[in-house]
Amino acid sequence: MSSTFHGIETAKRSLFTQTAALNTTGHNIANANTAGYSRQVVSMTASRPMEYPGLSRSVAPGQLGTGVEFTSITRIRQSYLDDQFRNESKSLGGWEIQTDTLSKLESIMNEPSESGIRTVLDNFWKSWSDLSKDPESVTSRKIVRENAIALTDAFNQTSRQLSDLSADLTNNIQVKVDEINSITQTIANLNSEIQRVEGLGDDANDLRDQRDLLTDDLSKIVNITVLNTAQGYNISIGGIELTAGGATTKITYDTLDEAFGNGDGTGDLKNGEVFGMFFSKEKYIADYQKQLDVLANTVANGDVTITIPAGSILPEGTTLRDENGNDIQFAGPARELTKDIKVIVNGLNGLHKLGYTFSTPAKNGEDFFTSGSGEITASSIRLNANIAADASLIATSLRTSGTGQNETAVKGNNTLAVLMFALKDNKFSFSSTGNGVTSGSIDDFYRSVVGQLGVQSQEAMRQLNNQQVLVEQVESRRQSISGVSIDEEMSNMIKYQHAYGAASRFMTAYDEMLEKLINGTGTVGR
Amino acid sequence: MSLRITQGMMHAQLLRNVNNNLNRMDRNQNVLATGMKIQNPSDDPVGITYALRYRSEISNNEQYQKNIDSAKSFVDHTDTVLSQLTDILQRANELTIQGLTGTNPQSAMDSIALEMGQLYEQTVSIGNDRFNGKSIFNGQFTDIDPYTSAGAANEQADKQKINYTFAAGVTIPINVTGEEVFGSPDPLVPTDPDATTDNLFSVLKGLQNAFSAGDQEKADTLLGQLKSRMDKILNVRAEVGARSNRIDLMDSRIKDLTLNLTDLDSKVEDADMAETITKLKQDENIYQASLSIGAKIIQPSLLDYLR
Repeated sequence: MSSTFHGIETAKRSLFTQTAALNTTGHNIANANTAGYSRQVVSMTASRPMEYPGLSRSVAPGQLGTGVEFTSITRIRQSYLDDQFRNESKSLGGWEIQTDTLSKLESIMNEPSESGIRTVLDNFWKSWSDLSKDPESVTSRKIVRENAIALTDAFNQTSRQLSDLSADLTNNIQVKVDEINSITQTIANLNSEIQRVEGLGDDANDLRDQRDLLTDDLSKIVNITVLNTAQGYNISIGGIELTAGGATTKITYDTLDEAFGNGDGTGDLKNGEVFGMFFSKEKYIADYQKQLDVLANTVANGDVTITIPAGSILPEGTTLRDENGNDIQFAGPARELTKDIKVIVNGLNGLHKLGYTFSTPAKNGEDFFTSGSGEITASSIRLNANIAADASLIATSLRTSGTGQNETAVKGNNTLAVLMFALKDNKFSFSSTGNGVTSGSIDDFYRSVVGQLGVQSQEAMRQLNNQQVLVEQVESRRQSISGVSIDEEMSNMIKYQHAYGAASRFMTAYDEMLEKLINGTGTVGR
Repeated sequence: MSLRITQGMMHAQLLRNVNNNLNRMDRNQNVLATGMKIQNPSDDPVGITYALRYRSEISNNEQYQKNIDSAKSFVDHTDTVLSQLTDILQRANELTIQGLTGTNPQSAMDSIALEMGQLYEQTVSIGNDRFNGKSIFNGQFTDIDPYTSAGAANEQADKQKINYTFAAGVTIPINVTGEEVFGSPDPLVPTDPDATTDNLFSVLKGLQNAFSAGDQEKADTLLGQLKSRMDKILNVRAEVGARSNRIDLMDSRIKDLTLNLTDLDSKVEDADMAETITKLKQDENIYQASLSIGAKIIQPSLLDYLR
């Protein structure tokens, strides 16, 4: 025979359990928009039934149910989707940064436009052609000078912008290092907390959600390996350990720099935003910086073959290389060319030095471009300070008259200016360029640089789009499993609400029964 | 397995779609506003290399055009000067023929000699003609007058040409030299006053001297040389004319080229307005549709239907 109050106990268990379920539903609805939240469900089981009670071992069939109880509140989540998400997320992070950098590089290059290096170069060449029409003029020389300054400015400025971009990335990496350390510290703390809570037999659902969310965030920043152990998540970047249980190892810029290694994916740092930053900095920006340096240096000094027309008079003692690499010396009467010759000169500087200025006696042209610091680079290229101060030092003439102290330039000779203008179409030799162009006009080279940037940027954008789609897909799968559906929660709510109501009604029924039994029966003799 | 859909997923999806549509609109709007298909190298990496080349070539052609214009004015000026010179020669020819008709008294010969002297001076000043401040018959010595009144006959003008660039690798000399026009200096004059070449100065001077000396025989010889020089000057004029034609041809070639290049550049760089506007309109529609669908889908949940 069962206890008198058995039913009340059963009803009570039911009320408790349905309340827990309702509360969980409320918690789910409350967190419907919480990032990283996974819906939780209460798992209910019928509580342990009783052997049907009797004075002795009962012969009555069946067991008497004792109601319901909830065994656990668990979150619905699939860890392999987490793994997938983290795997895709790192590539997304990597491509996001690379795309961003490349698009910044595109704005720095500023092509197509009327103010990019191409336009400045065009104007520079054209001013030489204008000067060739009027070689006696000081005004035209000044225009050449101004255009030369505009050209060096364009190089300097572009180079500076690249350096600035590189410095920005270095700063950003530092910020990311702090972020990583902060995240790993929090994850380690959560590891300990979860271990403590779950040691008591509970499920630390919300803490686990938090930990997973942080791990997701981290997975975008660097390529991480997550190992789920009894002590919690052990996270590492390749061989670099970040967290192990409750402990963390702080990383520094240098750690990551070393892990980036030579950037070909052989180091520990293979992907993620930080990888993207290092890659952008050390591959893209460094590469464009270098190509720009090569361009600037080649304009000033690069080997170029020119044809000096007959009638020109080269400076005494000039030695020039012909096409076959043989040196030809020009001295005495041999200075005056009787026929056209093809020689190799070192860029604008080399050509300019063959010409004469209008001073008496005639002086040779100086280096046209100089550098603030030894080798000419995009950042150091300058118009020769003397020419900048005195445009008449720009040489246009390749012919002199008179001898010795009386040797003066022939003013109407425009050969040098014509040759200078022709340089724009001449093929220069480019050395160690990194983009495969070893010979071509200055324009060709610049075009190939811009084209290369376009291709890289386009490729990065395509990769980014693909990666976005992949991440979205995985995230969608995760949401499908773990996301809170309001409709579902509302249905559950009604379900639990009704169960709660029914349980209450059952209790009332029991109450009424007992009321009848206690107060309504045995009134005889009262 | 059918996917379990949650409100969060729908929100995310809607946001993504709306964003994509907005992005496309932004791009088309930008293309429309600038009229340029290529905003960044990455929009069309192959196109951009072409675009940069076309732009450079168009820009160079502007320069060639400028060079052609100045060359043309120089050559035209040269032609004008040569035509003035021809007039002088014709006058000298007339005078000589007049002087050679046997019945002239010495006084008439003297006045012929006087006029011949004037023609000589005029020729010297034509030899020193300047255009834009630059001596046109003195080769590259543009800052120096080649001839003096006293010794023009045996003065050597510079023989080198001044080249202008009219296209990549194409340079054309624009000047004619003093020697081509007036003849090579007469080295014989100082040693043998009787022998002359067809140096124009020397011929004119010789005629003046012959007439003032009444030496018709000498004048007759000189007439032959004058004619030979006239022929040569006509040749030079023909050459100048031919050069002028060549420059004109170059001019129209460059103009054609620029037109073609502009056309090509436009094909690579310029937006197809009709297409872009259509696309933009389409994008607008899709955007609005995605918004209104969003409004319809996002709002209702079971919540709305429960009392």
